[in-house]
Amino acid sequence: MKQLKRLLPWKFRHTFIVLFIQLLSLAVTAQIKISGKVSGTDGKGIPSVSVMVRSTAIGTLTDANGNYDFNANLKPGNYVLEFSGIGFKTTTQELKVTSDVAYTANVQLTEDVMKMDEVIVTGVSAGTTRKQLGSYISTVKADQLTKGAASNPLLALQGKTLGAQITQNNGDPAGGFSVRLRGISSISGSSEPLYIIDGVIVNNATTRVTNTQSGYDGTNSVGTIGQNRMVDINPADIERIEVLNGAAAAAIYGSRANSGVVQIFTKRGKSGAPVVSFSSSVIFSSLRKKLDVNQSPTKFGGPTDGPTAQTQDILTPSLTNTTAVTRYDYQDYIFGSAVGTDNNVSVSGGTDKTKYLLSGSYFKNDGIVKNTDYQRFSFRTNLDQSIGKYVTATMGLNYINSDANEKPDGNSFYSPMNSVTIIANFHDIQTRDALGNIKAVGERGRANPVSVIEDIKQKNQTSRVIANFGLKIKPVKDLSIDYTMGIDNYVQKGTTYIPPFAYNVSTAFWGGGITLDPTQNGYASAATSVFFGINHDLSATYTKGITKNITSTTQVGFSQQYEKQSYQMSQGRGLAPFVQTVNGASTLLTGVDDRGEISISGFFVQENLKYKDQLFVTGALRRDGSSLYSGSQRNQTYAKASVSYVISSTGFWNKMSVKKWWDLFKVRIAYGESGNLTGIGATDRFNLYTSSSFVGRTTLSSSTRAANPNVGPERQQELEFGTDLSFLNNRLGITLNVYNKKVQHLSINRQVAPTTGFSSLLDNVGNLENKGFEIMLSGTPVRIKDFNWNISGLYNHNRNKLVNSAQPLILFATNGGAPVALIEGQPIGVFYGTFFATTSGGSFKKDKTGVPISSGLVLGPTGIPRVAYGTQSSVLTYILRDYLAGGPGNQGIPQGAQLRKIIGDPNPDYTASITNEFNYKKLSLRIQIDITHGNEVFNADFRTRQGVGNGKVVELEQRGLLPRGTVSVYSPSSAIPTGIYGIEEWRVDDGSNTRIRELSLSYSFGKVAKWISDLSLSFSGRNLKVWSKYIGYDPEVNAAGQSTLLRGIDFGSVPLPKTFSFGIQAKF
Amino acid sequence: MKQIINKSGWVALLLMLFTTQSCKKDFQIVTGATSEQVFSTPKGTMGVAVGIQKAYSNGVIFGMCDANGLITIETFLLNPGNLSEAQFSSGGPAVDNTNALLGNLWTTASKCIYDANNVIKAANGFADKGYASGLIGYASIIKASAYGCLSEFWENVPDTIGIGLSGNNTVFVPRAQGFAKAIAAINNAQAAIAANPISATFLSDLPPGIDIVNGLNALKARYYLFTGNYAAAMASANLVSLTTTNTYNYDAANANPIFFSVTSTNNIYQPIDSTLGLPIGIRPIPLLDGRVPFYTVINTAAAPRFRLNGFWNAATKAIPLYVPDEMRLIIAECLLRQAAPDAATAQNIIDGILKRAPAADPYGIGANIPAGYTGASDVASLLTEVYRNRCISLYHSGLKLEDMRRFGRPISERKRNFFPYPLAERNNNPNVPADPAF
Repeated sequence: MKQLKRLLPWKFRHTFIVLFIQLLSLAVTAQIKISGKVSGTDGKGIPSVSVMVRSTAIGTLTDANGNYDFNANLKPGNYVLEFSGIGFKTTTQELKVTSDVAYTANVQLTEDVMKMDEVIVTGVSAGTTRKQLGSYISTVKADQLTKGAASNPLLALQGKTLGAQITQNNGDPAGGFSVRLRGISSISGSSEPLYIIDGVIVNNATTRVTNTQSGYDGTNSVGTIGQNRMVDINPADIERIEVLNGAAAAAIYGSRANSGVVQIFTKRGKSGAPVVSFSSSVIFSSLRKKLDVNQSPTKFGGPTDGPTAQTQDILTPSLTNTTAVTRYDYQDYIFGSAVGTDNNVSVSGGTDKTKYLLSGSYFKNDGIVKNTDYQRFSFRTNLDQSIGKYVTATMGLNYINSDANEKPDGNSFYSPMNSVTIIANFHDIQTRDALGNIKAVGERGRANPVSVIEDIKQKNQTSRVIANFGLKIKPVKDLSIDYTMGIDNYVQKGTTYIPPFAYNVSTAFWGGGITLDPTQNGYASAATSVFFGINHDLSATYTKGITKNITSTTQVGFSQQYEKQSYQMSQGRGLAPFVQTVNGASTLLTGVDDRGEISISGFFVQENLKYKDQLFVTGALRRDGSSLYSGSQRNQTYAKASVSYVISSTGFWNKMSVKKWWDLFKVRIAYGESGNLTGIGATDRFNLYTSSSFVGRTTLSSSTRAANPNVGPERQQELEFGTDLSFLNNRLGITLNVYNKKVQHLSINRQVAPTTGFSSLLDNVGNLENKGFEIMLSGTPVRIKDFNWNISGLYNHNRNKLVNSAQPLILFATNGGAPVALIEGQPIGVFYGTFFATTSGGSFKKDKTGVPISSGLVLGPTGIPRVAYGTQSSVLTYILRDYLAGGPGNQGIPQGAQLRKIIGDPNPDYTASITNEFNYKKLSLRIQIDITHGNEVFNADFRTRQGVGNGKVVELEQRGLLPRGTVSVYSPSSAIPTGIYGIEEWRVDDGSNTRIRELSLSYSFGKVAKWISDLSLSFSGRNLKVWSKYIGYDPEVNAAGQSTLLRGIDFGSVPLPKTFSFGIQAKF
Repeated sequence: MKQIINKSGWVALLLMLFTTQSCKKDFQIVTGATSEQVFSTPKGTMGVAVGIQKAYSNGVIFGMCDANGLITIETFLLNPGNLSEAQFSSGGPAVDNTNALLGNLWTTASKCIYDANNVIKAANGFADKGYASGLIGYASIIKASAYGCLSEFWENVPDTIGIGLSGNNTVFVPRAQGFAKAIAAINNAQAAIAANPISATFLSDLPPGIDIVNGLNALKARYYLFTGNYAAAMASANLVSLTTTNTYNYDAANANPIFFSVTSTNNIYQPIDSTLGLPIGIRPIPLLDGRVPFYTVINTAAAPRFRLNGFWNAATKAIPLYVPDEMRLIIAECLLRQAAPDAATAQNIIDGILKRAPAADPYGIGANIPAGYTGASDVASLLTEVYRNRCISLYHSGLKLEDMRRFGRPISERKRNFFPYPLAERNNNPNVPADPAF
């Protein structure tokens, strides 16, 4: 108890005493039964409506037909039944308990387009209603998540939540994805929101257990590649997802809510007879769009293969002789049609005291790249148990086992996509030598795509347990105590195997070079990442009427989180035949043994005042500490305040005539602070020397990054205004949010002069801001008997800006060659590079093939566009020289240096979604169209295709339609005309796109047999059609994976597939 | 009552969870050692010294050979997709301050000097003076070489490495002072070793291949020569053993960087041809000079015909700190350049180099030309012959740019005189001088 005193505020200790007294004084009560039906305005029963006896924990949910019944121990007296369902206005009905044993209460609920009465569970405590919230929180329900053939819950959220930009970075079956709520909120750390499932803080890390080779990224930034762990969550288990974009997250999740919070609630049992639900679907995926490849009948220079092979001829303009070649399309080889299946079964039911839900799931999907797949087993048990009248215990257990067969990541030249991109399409890749071995492709030591598809093996496996335990105690009326403990524990294991090549593959691509050096040829690695996280959250909520019209809700809470991570990797090269493990390596390479632990704790107090049902004022304070920071920076305090005013609930509004057609008018304002207490690594604030082996000795090497030992956490302040309106009997709804989010004390790994002894310094410098607005429109244009049409539209407009960063420009060397920059006053992660000289200064344009067609291009003597030269006066200003002076055709040596400017921005101007839903009797159709506008993609693959000779621009040059030398590196001193290959602007494409993200058609048969209470068939599609000018597969791509800074880079990434699925759902 | 016990059980559990979970926030770091820990012991300091060798023998050696080779036309570019190399290959204004390879060279050399200073400082405080003198000698070899690298490629060099994280950045001094810093570091190390000879314990901890005493003298001879102190250069060169090797070694896991990235990939550069990039008149005697087949190998199977050989043809091939011919040629050059030139002795030395059989050289480098030197005996001709032999015997060692300038070779033989200062330095240090025009 002494420890308890130290840990808990006075009020808590007091609470426990009260609790004990309450437990001892359980009164004898009578058992009664309450039943009834909840129906909508159309008379149909509404499922999943919560029916609760107010101020108690007694209640249940309605079944599939809207019926409910439960037993309760209630003393005779007056009670209030509360009926609340998602999408409906909360309704109450009085219940007078007498000596009778059975009571009936039937109610009709009206739809709530603006969802003002929707229960929102911020934090772990009792929920509040949307009406009271001063900040915007969106909710997405189960039926919206599972219609679009999405394999994981966050992909299913795409286009459904206001203020979120969710992108799939890679088209692999377990490909990574990124979620940005109101833009980028950090630079060094992750900008991913905090994920909470049933109160468990779940880890969404991307850990490289495969693609472990350091060889291909070296000192470049490759990003954050691979699976991110939210892929483990089965969408079918989810009841609803709440997304807290900004300020709302502050008080409850202060320390880690810099980038917002995504809360997931899983399905729970309902009292009644066991209900068995079953669903099964078959999934077909394929490449949505094939690229055109070079069809020129000749190449420059000598033969394609053999001893005198001369590939990469195009980049050598001095070669003008030609050789006839046969052209191939390797896309036909690496891509295949993919089949998958998604099966779910669940049993739920219970009594009024005990409710359970058991579910099992098996998901398997092939990738569109041959020999890749992903499968997932998932089991879940959710249990709710009432203990007496005052205590409810809940428990959830989720076990997941996933297994993926991968191919190397796109950033390497031995990945499926890049093995094809990096060779000209004139090799017959299937030919074999006398011994049956695949042959080399050209003389440059590149991997034959056949080796990649057939021989290279990568496996990525995860075993995971997510468990939650909760207690809800209502010891006295109006006091609720909640405790939640969550555990997330997983082991992720990866193996990589590149067998020794039988032909010349560069040692940089893990081959043995020309001599097939046995000490170098082939690669194997095994890596294991273990994560354990535990969080405890305890809170108490006390509601008290101060006056007749003012109600006060006070909440205090304590939170503690601990995480332990380890990563071990062993690797070697120069493999023995057949052996796929590291044991087979003749050269053991330096491994990794990394361990770290972090701990965070904090407490908060929140006060909410409610005046009638119209004015709500909330204020909160939170104080947190994190082990990642030194003593002086460890503890941080965050404040929050919000006001919500529902004008349409006021007396004077009721007297106004607009009330007839104007149903809801709410204005709100919120301010919140939050931090990024997990924004740096466990040992990042220390200047450490790490060891490795070197010629039989051990080295201790200092990092290239210095750390300020007193580096502090980033700190966010967000101000949000909003309004919610609804008209015409709730048939038209409008939500508008305007926000200004500022992040200060950015922990930037800022570049420093190398003469300091370091390349960078981790320090708090600079700040960034995200300003924007979000609009949601929802309406029901048609609602007649048997038919209704719902339409909803989302529009997100965010402007991201690095306000200052202590240095005007930080340029990152990235693996795909994208010149990603941090420039003061500009959006995060713009592309900053060399560009075409123009006389007009107009914007850059390419034709459909990729030939530059900007107006006023300065051309060289043979008509090849030229790179801009001159004097760079500052990061963003320059003086063009040379070509302009002499006008087009000037052959002079350029003066000054190559100029650089911002050539692209991966941040969209806006994103929008339009969803139409049509319901005719038992048939429903849903179409979701997502729009991303104004973002640029750095299309590295486009340029590589030209450089090696499989691209369409090369075809034009080979056919004599473009001057020889167009596709070559510009050399000011070359006697032969040279070209545009090196100009970074040439690789920038417009990434704007409009796509049919989801389409679903379903037919519900209803009850078809005595034992089948519900049966429906569905057809779904995903990414069916994309409208875009992008000169590549799909502009929704990021070769740098889940990286915060490196966005919109297309370098060897697998394109998003087009997916169809046919499914059947039944309930028994 | 049973029910009550059950319920208080829940509460007890809840309380227990809170009282047993501590809020500990200072965890022990096991994955590395702090700088305080590392420099508190001789062994830890030795680990840092070995780490410097690893950085130098990868980053700096690779960068010097790569940049210098293309700029001085020892090598030619195979794939213009290698952007740094494409800039060197084009030369002139094409080489700009974003060049990644130059950035790496500058950064790694600075890092080596930074940590060498830390090692030397820590070693001065150790009680085991024999171990400490070894540490100082070892670290000084790399420190001097790194200063030598900066001074060869940049007109001005940083005056003080290791300042600027807080407070003012370093100022720059003319590159001659860089060579002087290299010489000063060597003098300091030689004094430490003279006072306390390197202990056997230290030598057993030293990575194989390196000979500290000879290495210090050889580097001192090189940098005295570059600064025009011919008497001192000759004196130091005379102290160097010409029959033993002195190398940076590699192993399969830490492969020879030039083999790993260049030779084995055949995708970056290769020797220009059997002329080794020398102009007509001073080329190696065709098919006769045994040093050409040492440094290059003919591949008749696939283009290009001439491939890197010598110190770059295998993953575990060691790269020498210097070759004995460099010492001989330093002596010859000093004899020719001193106030009273001694052409006869110099010619003798050159004659010996040309006649020497590969077997007589610890690395197997030998011109093996029985006729020896047949040219004119005047000082100017002999100096040209010294340059010619330096270009052949020291092929692809990263020193040719310095030689070209010292011997006044025509500008047309090289693509740049000095390099621009890397962007990372320019953007973060206001003291960076203007970039050279060429």
